[in-house]
Amino acid sequence: MKMKITIAGLVIALLLSAAPSIRVLASGDGFNDTVKIIEQFYHVKHQSIPLLARAGMKAARTAARIKGGEYKRLAEAGSVRVAFFEDQNFNSRGQIAAFKRSMQTTLEGEWSPLVQTLAPKDEEQTYIYIRDAGSKFHVLVVTIERHEATVVQATLAPDVLAQLMKDPSDMGKALTEDATINDH
Amino acid sequence: MKTLFQTILRFAPVLLLLLAGGVMTARAQGPKLQMDQLDLLANKASETVDVKLDERLMATTARFFPSKDDADIKEVLKGIKGIYVKSFTFEKEGEYSQLEVDSVLSQLRGSTWSKVVSVKSKGGDNVQVYLNMVGDQITGLAVLSMEPKEFTVVNIVGPIDLQKLSKLEGQFGVPDLGIEADKTKKK
Repeated sequence: MKMKITIAGLVIALLLSAAPSIRVLASGDGFNDTVKIIEQFYHVKHQSIPLLARAGMKAARTAARIKGGEYKRLAEAGSVRVAFFEDQNFNSRGQIAAFKRSMQTTLEGEWSPLVQTLAPKDEEQTYIYIRDAGSKFHVLVVTIERHEATVVQATLAPDVLAQLMKDPSDMGKALTEDATINDH
Repeated sequence: MKTLFQTILRFAPVLLLLLAGGVMTARAQGPKLQMDQLDLLANKASETVDVKLDERLMATTARFFPSKDDADIKEVLKGIKGIYVKSFTFEKEGEYSQLEVDSVLSQLRGSTWSKVVSVKSKGGDNVQVYLNMVGDQITGLAVLSMEPKEFTVVNIVGPIDLQKLSKLEGQFGVPDLGIEADKTKKK
């Protein structure tokens, strides 16, 4: 009887730990930790972006579009960080919830999750995390699609964040587009 | 022995969810619901939306709606300590079970929660609204929307009523639930 209980306990313990989960030793830098989680879970490699220095300038433009010019700056120039994964295969192998859990485990504490959208069939995911940065906020946006992914960290003034929060699902799209799309 | 293994394996997920439900019930004495146990549905859902606007974020940003257009929303958000939404859309019917629904409903059986609205349609839609009351004060609200291919839970912590909820629909991650404050019947 005791043997049976022990085996049952082992099986349950195994079941609890069976869900694949990538754990990155959190460095306290949410941006780098997130890039590492993506690389480990999907076996992909991020690319350096030569336009990184320019990204901050680009990110300043969304505000005017969002509120008819009322908000001059979406992000402070130079405070945007971007990592890009291009032409790679993002297949979560039916374990998209495990990836979400890994993100949560790594970022919890310092970062607060704001919005997470998942569409496993299309391998599309968006994560938006927020962190206090004195009088401003750091916003971390992760978008993953079947063949590309982007990680953007930007600094937002509270009034801009408040406006973006009205439509949190659109927030990630607005931030990512401005940090990455070259419209020249 | 093989039978024992098979039985355990077959029922382990159910047992775990029941166990989690029990823990949730014990924890959910306040207006904030535990909803993380629903996350596993993301593997089956064709689309999942998870919104968390916590107390700190609400308090910080609520001050920053300066325009006249925002006066209404500023009033609605006054005192709100959190907005939490989980919504799962499925391709086929029957992809979420009563077990998942019960893991939330069990938390609403506490003495501070009462069901104020229940709407069922012929098409199988079922919307239930619960209020958390401490004395005469509303301290929270929960909406469960159960459709054949969609399961949504909205939990708002703070002084919120149905009229305020209808103003939040479509904003701050709160989906359009089709709740009309003056037309709903109390049950």
